[in-house]
Amino acid sequence: MNVDTKLMQKKPTGSRMGKMSNETFITLFMIVMLILVFGIAALVVPNFYLPQNMLNLLANNWFIVIVGIGVTFLLVTGNFDMSVGGVIALTGVLSVYFCQGANVSQNVLANGLGLPYGVAVALALLCAMGVGGLNAFFVARLKVPSIIVTLGTAMLARGIAQVITQGAQRNTSLPDVFGFIGTMAIPATTIKISVLVMLILVFVAFIFEKKTVPGRRTYLIGANSEAARLSGVKVTRHLTSLFILSALLAGITGILLASEFKAGVSNRATGYEFDALVVALLGGVSINGGRGSVLGMFVGAIILSVVTSASTGLLLSPDWQFILKGSVTFIAILAQRFALEHRKV
Amino acid sequence: MQPTENVLEIRDLVKDFPGVRAVNDVSFDIKRSTVHCLVGENGAGKSTLIKMLTGAYARTSGRILLNGEEYSPRSTRDARQRGISTLFQELNVVDQLTVEENLTLGLEDTTFGFLRKTDKINKMVSVMNSIEPSIKPRQQVSTLSVAQKQIVEIAKAVATESNIIIMDEPTAAISESEIARLFTLIRSLRENNVTVIYISHRLDEIFELGDYVTVMRDGKHIDTKPVSQVHDRSELIKMMIGKTVFEQYTPRAEEAKKTTLEVKHLSNHKLNDLSFDVHEGEIVGFYGLVGAGKTELARAIYGVDTYEGDIVFKGRKLQPSPDKAIAAGIALVPEERRSQGLFTILTIRANIPVMNMKKISRGGFIDAAQEKQVADEYVDKLRIATSSTEKEAAQLSGGNQQKVVLSKCLFADADLLMLDEPTRGVDVGAKSEIYAIIRQLSAEGKSILIFSSELPEIVNLCDTICLLYDGSMKAMMRNGPEIDSEKILHIVTGGE
Amino acid sequence: MNSTSQKPTRVTPDRSRDVRATIKKYYIYVVLLFIVFVFSVVKLGEVEMFGRGHFLSPDSVVNMLRTAVPVLTLSGAFTLLMISGYIDLSVGSAMSLNAVVFALMILNGVPFLLAFPITLVLGVILGAINGYLVMKLRITPVIATLVTLLIFKGLALLIVPDGSSAIKSIPGKPMPEWINDYARHDVLLGLPMAFFVAVALIAVLVIVQRKTILGKYAAAVGGNRTAAELSGINAVKVVWFLYILVGVFAALAGMARASYMSLGDPLSGDNMELTCIIAVLLGGTAFSGGEGSVAKTMVGALIVISITTGLMTVIPAYWQTVAMGSVLLIAVVLNHLLVREPAK
Repeated sequence: MNVDTKLMQKKPTGSRMGKMSNETFITLFMIVMLILVFGIAALVVPNFYLPQNMLNLLANNWFIVIVGIGVTFLLVTGNFDMSVGGVIALTGVLSVYFCQGANVSQNVLANGLGLPYGVAVALALLCAMGVGGLNAFFVARLKVPSIIVTLGTAMLARGIAQVITQGAQRNTSLPDVFGFIGTMAIPATTIKISVLVMLILVFVAFIFEKKTVPGRRTYLIGANSEAARLSGVKVTRHLTSLFILSALLAGITGILLASEFKAGVSNRATGYEFDALVVALLGGVSINGGRGSVLGMFVGAIILSVVTSASTGLLLSPDWQFILKGSVTFIAILAQRFALEHRKV
Repeated sequence: MQPTENVLEIRDLVKDFPGVRAVNDVSFDIKRSTVHCLVGENGAGKSTLIKMLTGAYARTSGRILLNGEEYSPRSTRDARQRGISTLFQELNVVDQLTVEENLTLGLEDTTFGFLRKTDKINKMVSVMNSIEPSIKPRQQVSTLSVAQKQIVEIAKAVATESNIIIMDEPTAAISESEIARLFTLIRSLRENNVTVIYISHRLDEIFELGDYVTVMRDGKHIDTKPVSQVHDRSELIKMMIGKTVFEQYTPRAEEAKKTTLEVKHLSNHKLNDLSFDVHEGEIVGFYGLVGAGKTELARAIYGVDTYEGDIVFKGRKLQPSPDKAIAAGIALVPEERRSQGLFTILTIRANIPVMNMKKISRGGFIDAAQEKQVADEYVDKLRIATSSTEKEAAQLSGGNQQKVVLSKCLFADADLLMLDEPTRGVDVGAKSEIYAIIRQLSAEGKSILIFSSELPEIVNLCDTICLLYDGSMKAMMRNGPEIDSEKILHIVTGGE
Repeated sequence: MNSTSQKPTRVTPDRSRDVRATIKKYYIYVVLLFIVFVFSVVKLGEVEMFGRGHFLSPDSVVNMLRTAVPVLTLSGAFTLLMISGYIDLSVGSAMSLNAVVFALMILNGVPFLLAFPITLVLGVILGAINGYLVMKLRITPVIATLVTLLIFKGLALLIVPDGSSAIKSIPGKPMPEWINDYARHDVLLGLPMAFFVAVALIAVLVIVQRKTILGKYAAAVGGNRTAAELSGINAVKVVWFLYILVGVFAALAGMARASYMSLGDPLSGDNMELTCIIAVLLGGTAFSGGEGSVAKTMVGALIVISITTGLMTVIPAYWQTVAMGSVLLIAVVLNHLLVREPAK
């Protein structure tokens, strides 16, 4: 049976007439969903519609958005990265450990390597990238399913953080400069630098994915990795770069969080990999066909923000978060599918 | 009721696809307990016809009578239940199961879910045993060769009392001795009231094995007659090819120029010690049947598959990988355009520049205006029928999709362009447009390699013709008026 | 990957294939013995959980097996699902949810003989939901079961009243003592009933995998779904059933855990899916399906348990995570080396 003819029987989705791509359509669709969800929240939750609250919606999830970038790119190629939470924890802990004063105290947890902050940060990021490289080795070279590998490296990364902090955290003998970037705000505003970093990264990522050659490669691999290979794309190399990039982004997040709390905590960022996946899926990133954009992911992050802050506003216990995240993702997947199938009409 | 003389009667069968009528008013009979061969060139409509018999396609109009009764299968499972089994080229066996498990798959006898060894099961195993005693029931199928897997499939069809077994190019991937065994098996099937519909390009096999032969061409039924009444191969060939033999080939005026590609003792799992040269501006055609090794050769040159031997391009040894091949100046239009050549969910505009992004980008940034311009240019140049370059490639017809893939490769500015089955599933108009482009490229000094199972295409276009059979190069000849298409067919079907 | 030194043959020469097949068959028993040996020999310091003494002392073995009951119960069914080529990442949360519901019932006076089947029914429902998402709605298994992971976990957390960490004894309403009867109290050789139930279930699963039509169809669907469907097998039904089976076994595992710990902990199943995955990997089941062995997964599960409990006695608790992560990655490498896809 000729594969060609078998595929010929599949219905093509998407518009026959409009010029808008499926991806743009879905992003717009999710923006509409966002407005809908926001509307419901504004009606149901007391004091929801406050300017401060709105700003918070955009800014609260900054760490999810940053790691969401890497997760989105990988998801477009059909891969998962569940190690981002562990890498955040690891990088944070390492950044503390590397620049804690050496031989300052009897307490083991108060002694580090005494390196200057900048060096500590650089080294910590390198370690993060190392984890990314490990992921890439298993997935791109050994062709092991990414879900299993990254769940393993997640444990490895977080595990190392736990060893270094003996299961708790390191937060003493830090140089003063340590707390700067995590707590600094843009002068005359309450917007943290971290949020600014998020916005810049999203912007850069968007330009990257839409307008650069390497960004295009992600979509080619996601659309048809065999055709990509036959068209000269170095698939293994590209996937490796994506895994390292994802780990680097997680590392940056770890540095910022560690700085904000002036501590390297081994159980930081638990569950962030789920959140990153959730916002990507909410944003319309499809694991099956090379479709999805960081812009969509950003919209997804705002949707998630609205949902979680609405639930807090309604005084629901934090335990509700899990069900909400799961349900919202499920609804989004079905809604997106429905929208695409009925687009022709 | 007496069994009808004809096990199948096909009446006015038509199958339409958007833009093309693949099967055009076909009518013929297949007699019970015969080996009925189906021949025709690529695109003649054979596979579409078979797919309607097996339930993979629904017919557009017409009737099929099976054992005298209306037959309208809704699925391949339906067809199997009505007694029609098919052996495709992709084997439908589960490698991880044993022979016995495969034979009984879907037909098990159980007590409370436990698999039982009943008489029925034993009978099936004994059918397998009588067909091919060397295959042990407990063997894992993954340890079997292709020929053996075929036999397992045949045994299953027999054991489930199929009265029609369709075989699609069964000898493509098996050795001489295995072919002989297969034929013995087919003959004994016939003795046992099974009708075999046998599709093959290898005309010798038709004469050796067949009772009847049906020739199709361009979707139409040309003739059905007893093999004994066919005089010789050329009669069949003439029916397959039709009145218009070939467009006259215009021989190249200049002599062969510089050598661009040298292939030296190329061998791998499929290919046997191939060596040849290609020159600037030369169009070299590789002709052979299914399984001859055409695609394998293209993939080896392109660096997709591993090989032993050397390939020298423009004086430098080629490193085996597609990106290095492209960088050196080689491009491949792959055999399966949807799964290998095209990014079906991306737009036409996104598909075309893929092999040469440098040209539409600066410092890594894609110049959107230039990208659009390139897309428009190629849509124009190749006359791709589309209202907009923003359309998803999935929505184009086969011929237009092929043009997009071709555009992609043309944009790569390759000095050596390889095309694997360039006009398969492409309509006549697009076909001649593609040929014109190939000739144009050759005039510009590019070397072209064409891998095709359509003889007219090869003879029409190529300066040099290489004949492949079973992984070996059997002949290499200059094209010209002395080319004897019969002699060619003789060689590619295994003659000397 | 483009070696040009060896001419690749289509069918590997018999000898190397035989050697590899033998290694594949027996290596896992070797690994288990090795690990047991290592821990027996290593000097143990403060062995709080098991009382002082060797790893192989009857006390510590009994304890190890008691804590291993959930994994042993669950990883067998998990293997069958993976043989068919599908995965369920929500097993941990399902287990927790079942534990919580079970404990809640027991705490509120529901007799065991009623609570047990009710929890099983819950397990069926959870499994059916997974099956529906994956097979009917055709959502990628990883994503579908990650979604249910979140939902089941959320449900478990919500059932536990605020302020409490688990369904457990509260002043005025103690958890009945007999809850331990199932998974903690000695029935034979120091082992509880739940253990023997687990052993029986494992035996059943081994037989199902090797001798029943479900086992065969699972392998067929995982090996070549097209061929299976052509032969009349309803792949949707088969895999859906396997998801339900996993759901039932998750319920059994949850009840065992609740019974053992005398409480319903909504986090008790965390990372259980990873443990199952490691066990399955060590047991040589291929990711893509088609082959696998429940029996070998059991050995894999024992290896994981030995490592976890053994390590617990040797290294501080905060080394556990990195150890498990390493074990997973090593299992991945081992599995990769031993389960080669058939050469195309």
